[in-house]
Amino acid sequence: MKIIKDFKLIYLFVGLLFIVSSCEDDLDTVPLDDDASTAEDFFNQDDAYKRLLAGVYGNLNLTSASDAGSSNIGGLDAGTSQYGRALMNLQTFTTDEAIWSYENDPGIAEIQRSTWTPANVIIRGAFGRIMGSVAFANEFLRQSTEAKLNSRNVSGEELQEMPAFRAEARLLRALSYYHMLDLFGKAPFVTEEDPVGVFRSEEIVGVDLFNYIESELLEAMPNLKDARTNEYARADKAVAWMILAKLYLNAEVYIGEDRYADALEYSQNIIDAGYSLTPNYQDVFRADNDVNGAQNEVIFPVPADGNFSQSFGPSTVFTNGAVGSIEENGAALGVPESGWGGAIRVTPQFVSLFNGAAFTNDTRNTIISEDRPINITDVSNRDQGYILIKFTDVRSDGTQDDNLDISSVDFPMFRLADVYLMYAEAHLRGGGGSRAQAVEYVNLIRTRAQNGSTTWNISDSDLTLDFIIDERARELYWESHRRQDLRRFGLFTGASYVWTLKGNSLSGIPIADFRGLFPIPSESMSANPNLTQNPGY
Amino acid sequence: MNTFKYLCLFLLMPLGILAQNTVSGTVVDSQNMPIPGVNILIENTQRGTTTDFDGKYTIEINNGEVLVYSYLGFKTQKVSYTGQSEINVKLKPDADQLEEVVLIGYGTSTKKDLTGSVTSISQEDFTKGNIITPENLINGRVAGVTVKTSGAPGSGSEIRIRGGGSLNSNNQPLIVIDGLPLSNDIAGGRSILSSINPNDIESFSILKDASATAIYGNRASAGVIIIKTKKGTKDFQVDFNYTAGVYSLNDQVDVFSSDEFRRLISQELPDQVDQLGDANTNWQDEIYRVANSFDHNLSVRGQLFDKIPVRLSLGHLDQQGIRLTSEFERSSVSTSINPTFFDDRLRVNLNANYTRESNRFADGVEGAAILFDPTQPVRNPNSPFGGFFEYFNPATNEPLLATRNPVASLLQRTNETEVDRFYGNLNLDYRLHFLPQVRAVVNFGYDESNGSGSNELSRESINGERLDDGSFNGSFSRFTSDIKNTLFDAYLKFDDDITEDISLRGTVGYSYQEFTNKSFNTGETREAAQIDDSDVNTLPDIVLIGYIGRAFVSFKDKYIASYSIRRDGSSRFAEGNKWGTFQSAALSWNISDENFLTDSKVISNLKLRASYGETGQQEIGPRIIGLESFNTSQPTAQVIIGGVPIAAGFPVARNEDLTWETAKTYNIGLDYGFFNDRLTGSIDVYTRDTEDLFVVAPVPEGSNFTNTIEQNSGTLNTEGIEFGINAQIFDDKGDSDKFDWNVNYNFTLLNQELDELANDSDIPVGGIGGGTGGFIQLHSVGHAPNSFWVFNQIYDDNGRPIEGAYADLNGDNIINDDDRYLFRDPDADITMGFQSTMNYKNFDFSFNMRASLGNYVYNNVNSSRAQFQLLQNNAALGNVPTQVLETGFQNTSDVIRSDIYIEDASFLRMDNFQVGYTFQDVVQKNTTLRFWAGMNNVFVITDYSGLDPEVFGGIDNTIFPRPQTFLLGANFKF
Repeated sequence: MKIIKDFKLIYLFVGLLFIVSSCEDDLDTVPLDDDASTAEDFFNQDDAYKRLLAGVYGNLNLTSASDAGSSNIGGLDAGTSQYGRALMNLQTFTTDEAIWSYENDPGIAEIQRSTWTPANVIIRGAFGRIMGSVAFANEFLRQSTEAKLNSRNVSGEELQEMPAFRAEARLLRALSYYHMLDLFGKAPFVTEEDPVGVFRSEEIVGVDLFNYIESELLEAMPNLKDARTNEYARADKAVAWMILAKLYLNAEVYIGEDRYADALEYSQNIIDAGYSLTPNYQDVFRADNDVNGAQNEVIFPVPADGNFSQSFGPSTVFTNGAVGSIEENGAALGVPESGWGGAIRVTPQFVSLFNGAAFTNDTRNTIISEDRPINITDVSNRDQGYILIKFTDVRSDGTQDDNLDISSVDFPMFRLADVYLMYAEAHLRGGGGSRAQAVEYVNLIRTRAQNGSTTWNISDSDLTLDFIIDERARELYWESHRRQDLRRFGLFTGASYVWTLKGNSLSGIPIADFRGLFPIPSESMSANPNLTQNPGY
Repeated sequence: MNTFKYLCLFLLMPLGILAQNTVSGTVVDSQNMPIPGVNILIENTQRGTTTDFDGKYTIEINNGEVLVYSYLGFKTQKVSYTGQSEINVKLKPDADQLEEVVLIGYGTSTKKDLTGSVTSISQEDFTKGNIITPENLINGRVAGVTVKTSGAPGSGSEIRIRGGGSLNSNNQPLIVIDGLPLSNDIAGGRSILSSINPNDIESFSILKDASATAIYGNRASAGVIIIKTKKGTKDFQVDFNYTAGVYSLNDQVDVFSSDEFRRLISQELPDQVDQLGDANTNWQDEIYRVANSFDHNLSVRGQLFDKIPVRLSLGHLDQQGIRLTSEFERSSVSTSINPTFFDDRLRVNLNANYTRESNRFADGVEGAAILFDPTQPVRNPNSPFGGFFEYFNPATNEPLLATRNPVASLLQRTNETEVDRFYGNLNLDYRLHFLPQVRAVVNFGYDESNGSGSNELSRESINGERLDDGSFNGSFSRFTSDIKNTLFDAYLKFDDDITEDISLRGTVGYSYQEFTNKSFNTGETREAAQIDDSDVNTLPDIVLIGYIGRAFVSFKDKYIASYSIRRDGSSRFAEGNKWGTFQSAALSWNISDENFLTDSKVISNLKLRASYGETGQQEIGPRIIGLESFNTSQPTAQVIIGGVPIAAGFPVARNEDLTWETAKTYNIGLDYGFFNDRLTGSIDVYTRDTEDLFVVAPVPEGSNFTNTIEQNSGTLNTEGIEFGINAQIFDDKGDSDKFDWNVNYNFTLLNQELDELANDSDIPVGGIGGGTGGFIQLHSVGHAPNSFWVFNQIYDDNGRPIEGAYADLNGDNIINDDDRYLFRDPDADITMGFQSTMNYKNFDFSFNMRASLGNYVYNNVNSSRAQFQLLQNNAALGNVPTQVLETGFQNTSDVIRSDIYIEDASFLRMDNFQVGYTFQDVVQKNTTLRFWAGMNNVFVITDYSGLDPEVFGGIDNTIFPRPQTFLLGANFKF
């Protein structure tokens, strides 16, 4: 009957309303892509924890999960936001070791001319990328607590690996805090106890930060794998010793304390662990430096691969960028002929470190000077200034990588040659050890540099602090150590040492001491009002 | 059944009024054509019926009762029943414009009953001219609405209603077609609206203020455009349109000619003179061509089986772009079927549309064309690169670091996509039998785009990857994509006169929408390194749910109040933040109905409106922002551990606190009409505060997995005044021998300012060319969004700028970013539109002009190229814009952020004009044939030195130029 039918309509409509209100659950959408998963799905897969740990390591080389052109750090281009690149810009381009030709690239002019401000995008990128490692490490620790492991029924081999995994995550976090201490003197203090989101942490400064890094490394130490026993590129005790050694060696700068004895002790630990210098210096910086023998010298590499682990990191930049505008020697470096058109030159002050008969045949002296004026009077003129070759995307047998643009050279963050010099320096600064031993270690470096010839080994009287700072540059240039070294020797700021573009002057002028530390970026300060600015900014 | 009814009535009716009679009749219009669907109600009862397709009706009635005949567009009539067996009624059309039906959210309203700020445009009002996309139909016609199109064929536009009101969300208004809101992303196609054939559009409504848009809460913060397509008609009608157009470039960037260049090089770089060539090439001429287009449309309307109104439209458009190789082709089929059942109680609207678009995209090579040495030829028969001149080392074929031949870049690339799009909806509207004041409406909508395409670079191109053996490999990749949007709406509409003076209308409803998006990309397939980086990218679904309620109360049709409330949920946000509530209220007063004005000869319409409304916005980039999730490495972003690449896991940045952005708008408006509506228009004044503004703001480092993320922290204030007037200067009153002239003028004043930003911190935006990034604009509290952030140039005594010399605004003796200041912004302060349409005898002439004042543009073409150092462009010589002579600048990095490059781009533009002649009664009666000729992009008057003062986002880093177009067309109707 019509009226009843109409009532049925009402019931139908009301019924529909009930159905539709249950559709509210549809608002709980989840990622659908095979490359994205909810936490539950992610931890259901095999090797979930190893993958997550790999992600923490990954932040040292990659800028995103998708490709080299994307970044999870905003405010600057993806390549410049890479971890090693940030260190490269702040530790190398602020010194006499390199000049970047394209000053239109955001931030770089201020960096190499010592005129940076809290608005500088490179500094902001570094702050974000380094703390990003802290965030990833914290996340790993959050997800691998006993409670979480139990609730996910993690067992067997994966469970056994967990202490080592966790120790490595803590080490990586300590490494990043060490970088923060070195660059900024302080950091936002965030651990796995803190929430994820928009969390305004307290800051940790100076001595507190120093002690925290030290304690983290010492606590993680027992669970770290013994030196040279872990998989390639994973951290072990030697890496922890290295970070501690650096911490102690620079303690006077960081916190005004003499810790040279500790620096020497840990350097010795590393030296005794079985590392050896690669006979051919160039091999350390070649595309196959994970297998050509360099792996015995490198304590902590940051692996890269032109196919599978792409980034515009320091190895890519130093390879493409070193190609000369006049020479077009890209083929020798394993990149397209004209590379990046002469992006990098070295200062005359750096060149002078290789002056003298001692360095004519030094394999570390790859300076190219023909047809080039040594002085740079116009930064944008790429034909001025000398160039050199260090990183080459070529294998030791001469063959090239598939990918001509992206480097496969694993960046050596820490290597044995550095430790030899650290031992010698710690000794000279009163840290103990033996002088003869120090000379011997330095000569190992010299002999290797001279391809086995001992002609230019040093004698006991040559071993002075002035020698050390220069030899460190000759051995370790472009490996992101220079600013730290110059600071330690009182040469970075002030008048004692000047170089082209220091203080925004072509001949170089002194810069104020407060520029020994970088400013906290203005965006970071506004996002977290608990942070305080460094003096002078 | 009938017996039962009679029995009930018998029981319910008191004796004495038991005399039930039947009356029937036909309802016709002034031309004696029957009108189907006329509402016939027995006054003060619940009984009624409607006329069928022949205009006939039958109804039970009692003595003394009154029949009320009503139909939209006609004057209501009442007839008393005193025993007639047949009552035939002739309804008179309602000449009163106020009865004109206007589309509002989820239904219609008469203009009279509107409380919000709504502009309605129907076919007669459409601006004339070659209309390829629907946005062109409204450009310049409506106060408060701006439309920016690029020159690319079939290209989409940036439509802004009242500025949009948001910083980071999609500021495009919601487009609703026949009740189906359209998806904004199209797989491989150019824009949402480019797939709609503009000839199928019957009317547009533009909802501007919040009380009008509040009903669409969840996607309507930036305004709503409602489109209604043409339906079937009783008589068979055919409409055929043909348009042909010729497009050409009308301006170029000023660079040096080959001879001027030779002189310049011998002056500035004398030792590079040997690098010059012998040719005389104008590279900008070489990358463009004269293009043409052909557009055919056929639309047939009528009734199937004499009962079911049907419209069927077919269309085909072929359009070349003036940039070499760019092309657009569109075929469309569209139908609308609107049967009614059960005595017109059940109205069914079935709309189905299918379009196929083919696009060939041409890369933006304008930059290369500006830089390329004009003394070099386009072709070089000795070149291994397809016979095109390129810079390479002849010994090794190694490309040199230099600009690439732009003509080769265009001709050696084939970037084609095809998009099949189907969208349609089924709308059922049922008037309840026992409660005729209530209609139940159910709407199912579906929108699916399937795109596919390939991008191939020829093996002869110098831009391809180089293999070990020295040969070039070009590149090739393919993609497919599938985007779907499903909609379900259900609502009840109530419309009744509660008393003689008070009528009430209400709507309650529910809406559910789901968006899916999946695409596949092969990645580069010709790489030497055979990594498989093909990827299927499935985006998370978006689900939007809404509960809606709205009510209108009107007293004596003079005083109207409305209220609406909406509760919306979005799947984007985290638990606890998914829902938002949005309300609005409005009042309006039809002053012209008051006694002191009803007899006025001057004022024919005066209506005062005031409204307050809230709308929500949830359209941010990420589809899920509040969920704990992890990403896994894609093939090139793996981590090498133990010598083996591992697909690593990375936690994804999230913000669990993010929720709806809400815009709150106050609007006061006055609609007016003078001299029997010879002059009509409206004035609106409004202020809108967008709160919980989506800002991509810095997040404390270490606390999240990124350093910036979408946050709700900021307030944007928009204020404006809109004035529109439509004047029938000469009225031929239907006599085509008289001169008829209609003009429309609209004026908009718009001001936007950021009242609040996250942490009071400025946000740099506006990436510029020159280097690896850099920003030229800033969002800053107290200023318009996207204000330009530049250095203050210092000039010498002769008025020439001193390179790199900027005012030390903070007096600290260092020139750095602290000395940059905020100077102007890209949004116009005032925009105006003017249309004129004239008719005399069978001629018609119309044109459309627009003006914009106070919009500024950063000339990135000059800022990154007009410097003498670029004469040596890496390994080659490079041309530079002649503007360099005005400044004498040498180094790009010294000058790129100078305020000298911020130019006033105010303009006056004539968008189109058209002249036509109509032959009447061709072939048979009531058929017309119209021929017309016209021009698009007729002229532009501006001080801006660049190519075109209308630039997206205010940064001009070369554009796809807007061509000047000559058109011819024919239209045949019968």
